[in-house]
Amino acid sequence: MANEQTQHLTLSELDRDGAIREAVEQVSGDTRARFLGKAVLGSAALLGAVATPASADAAAASDVAILNYALTLEYLQSAFYTETERLGAIRGELKRVPRQLGAVERAHVRAIKAALGTAAARSPAFDFRGVTEDQTKFLKTAVAFEDLAAAAYKAQAARIRSPELLAAAISIHSVEARHAAWMRFLAGVTPAATAFDEGKPISEVKAIVASTHFVTAQPKMTSAKKPKYTG
Amino acid sequence: MERPRTLARAFGVAAAAILAAVIAVLVSSRSTASSSAADGVQDLPASPASALRVPAPTVLSGPAAAHWASVRHAVSARASPSETARLVAPLAATTPEGTANIVLVLGRARDRAGRLWVHVRLPVLPNDQTGWVPRQALGVYGVVETHLVIDLQRLTATLLRNGRPIFQAPIGAGRPEWPTPRGDFYIRDRLTRYKSAFYGPLAFGTSARSSVLTDWPGGGFIGIHGTSAPDLLPGRVSHGCVRLRNRDILELGRSMPVGTPVTIR
Repeated sequence: MANEQTQHLTLSELDRDGAIREAVEQVSGDTRARFLGKAVLGSAALLGAVATPASADAAAASDVAILNYALTLEYLQSAFYTETERLGAIRGELKRVPRQLGAVERAHVRAIKAALGTAAARSPAFDFRGVTEDQTKFLKTAVAFEDLAAAAYKAQAARIRSPELLAAAISIHSVEARHAAWMRFLAGVTPAATAFDEGKPISEVKAIVASTHFVTAQPKMTSAKKPKYTG
Repeated sequence: MERPRTLARAFGVAAAAILAAVIAVLVSSRSTASSSAADGVQDLPASPASALRVPAPTVLSGPAAAHWASVRHAVSARASPSETARLVAPLAATTPEGTANIVLVLGRARDRAGRLWVHVRLPVLPNDQTGWVPRQALGVYGVVETHLVIDLQRLTATLLRNGRPIFQAPIGAGRPEWPTPRGDFYIRDRLTRYKSAFYGPLAFGTSARSSVLTDWPGGGFIGIHGTSAPDLLPGRVSHGCVRLRNRDILELGRSMPVGTPVTIR
């Protein structure tokens, strides 16, 4: 765990030149007022910002962007397994998969959101288009998601500036890799076909996620129109 | 008999001592070998602690009360999971209020071609109808843990979460000539910030429809809303809608999401 002193620092205390804020706005579209409010980063990456503001702030900004990127992928995985478990349409040997993996992905979401505080990107809506109700498609997608998550974390690892955050990312990465191996085994695919894995850059990951059409807008549920109910 | 037993015990103690000495020598030599092998490796600093407080895996709290799905595009609901089954009702992608049209998910099945169909509750007349639509015509799934029960005898509205009551208030229901329909329905949308004292500060649209006021603007849907005449509650005073005092509808609005199943009995 990070030093206790670094656990409850607010970004407004540390964001002296606005570098972190700009990065977060770039990633999450957050507003200055909201961002500077109460965001609390447990990351010891911010300890550096206290010591040497200019360079450390930039490093922390980059780490915040990477954390939000990781959070978005975790939202996707978490929603996928949670919906599958809730719908209960997956049977047999695969039935325990969404329960076990969903619990872990939800824990990842909670941990990263807690670290980012109000700087955390919001979850989009997901339309899994029947994949969470189809045995074969579910397993194929689980293999793809776990491979993708492991490759995405791997690609960002070398860019993480904070050793503490890198330790956290690696601890999640290895879990994603274990999930990938398990899903590959269930799908009859060799768990580790190569001696060295390649990471996937963010552009490639975004293109793959976009190709699924799973990410969508929240349906409009409210309106300011005057009611026409019978009264 | 006593002497042989003592002798045996003495032999046992001696054997144990010899065995312990052999193990000690082996462990000592292995430890020395290990130290020798590690001699070429420099001491390294301890790894940094993780920046995240990772909680334990988070299990789901319990079964959901219901699932809803948005209608992605206009589609015909059918009596069974088949393209050739009888047409029950058309479903639009939006409501008369301009919100996404949603349906309550009741189940699923595949047709002979392996196509996935979803069994849904429909916002159509006659009330309480269900039908089947292809999964590809539906969009986002949502989940709710709440259930609203309207009791027309006691004139109360009770909101349950995971089966436990969390809200109850007196209501106004339909007059005898414009009765509030009984059956199983769901919350379709939520209207706020409109200007109408008659409907109060908040109104929920339901999938229930008046079987009498069918030519009402918007199709005669039953709403659950506030009122400009709180003194009439509880009572049978409306055109079929469920009226609550304004403070009650606002409190209900804090706990009841769109998609909540509604039972009117």
